[in-house]
Amino acid sequence: MASLTAALVAGILSGYLLRNKRHVNLNKVTMGVIVMLIFSLGFSIGSNNKLLGSLPQVGLNAIVIVLLAVGFSVVFVKAAGKVAGLK
Amino acid sequence: MIKYILASLIFGAVLGYLNSNWGNVTAGVWVSDYVFNGSLMLLVFVMGLVFGMDKESMGKIRQAGFKILVVPFAVACGSILGGAVGGLILRIDVVAAAAVSAGYGWYTLAGPLVGQLFGTEWGTLGFVVNFLRELLTIVSISLLVKIDKHAPVAAGGATTMDTTLPIIVQYCSSGELITAFSSGFTLSLAAPFTIMIIATLR
Repeated sequence: MASLTAALVAGILSGYLLRNKRHVNLNKVTMGVIVMLIFSLGFSIGSNNKLLGSLPQVGLNAIVIVLLAVGFSVVFVKAAGKVAGLK
Repeated sequence: MIKYILASLIFGAVLGYLNSNWGNVTAGVWVSDYVFNGSLMLLVFVMGLVFGMDKESMGKIRQAGFKILVVPFAVACGSILGGAVGGLILRIDVVAAAAVSAGYGWYTLAGPLVGQLFGTEWGTLGFVVNFLRELLTIVSISLLVKIDKHAPVAAGGATTMDTTLPIIVQYCSSGELITAFSSGFTLSLAAPFTIMIIATLR
């Protein structure tokens, strides 16, 4: 968590300093790294036999709970955004 | 873009499965640790870079001010309530079901912690629920962004400061970076406390 915050702050500062330099398009690079990140996430899921084994066991309960948790979160954030006037 | 994400997720999972079950061709930890953390750090840096270069971004944050904390607070309330309602519907322990969803997607924490407080079978549920939350956010992001501007951040929970952050920024805007990161950060801090507080209710 500390290293992620450091990476973010370093990024923002570098961006701020480079603000008036020629703009580079980072979209393609970002996309490539995202694919790499998701690939390694998938890889660690696939390698985790304990996780894969427990999926059918708790599957239905887990699906119901996760859908409700995400659903309520989205509704609450949407409502809170309206009340607090988040743009 | 979502098709590349899904393809790499599935491809990665299949390769990871084959690698760990039919002879470790490469040390799996190399991919799931070094490649994962390396690409994550790089991405978070690049997101910050794009944000820092955007002249309007700072103004947007100043405008939002402390209101930005409304999002993680709403996510926490929604998750816990959603978990409790799920417990009622499934006729399982309501308090444990609420604790499980108070992991906000941080499965490496929620699994062991819930397991310790409620017993192993709840730990397994805690692990799977929060793992599915991250997966669901990644898979349904193009749908979520149509519901509400902050819906992907709401769905991602604690994961919006790391794994799902780059995808959210790509799908929303670089202005969503601070909302996502601060929400994920706050929820990561809150997760262990809320799980333990809920556990005292039993």
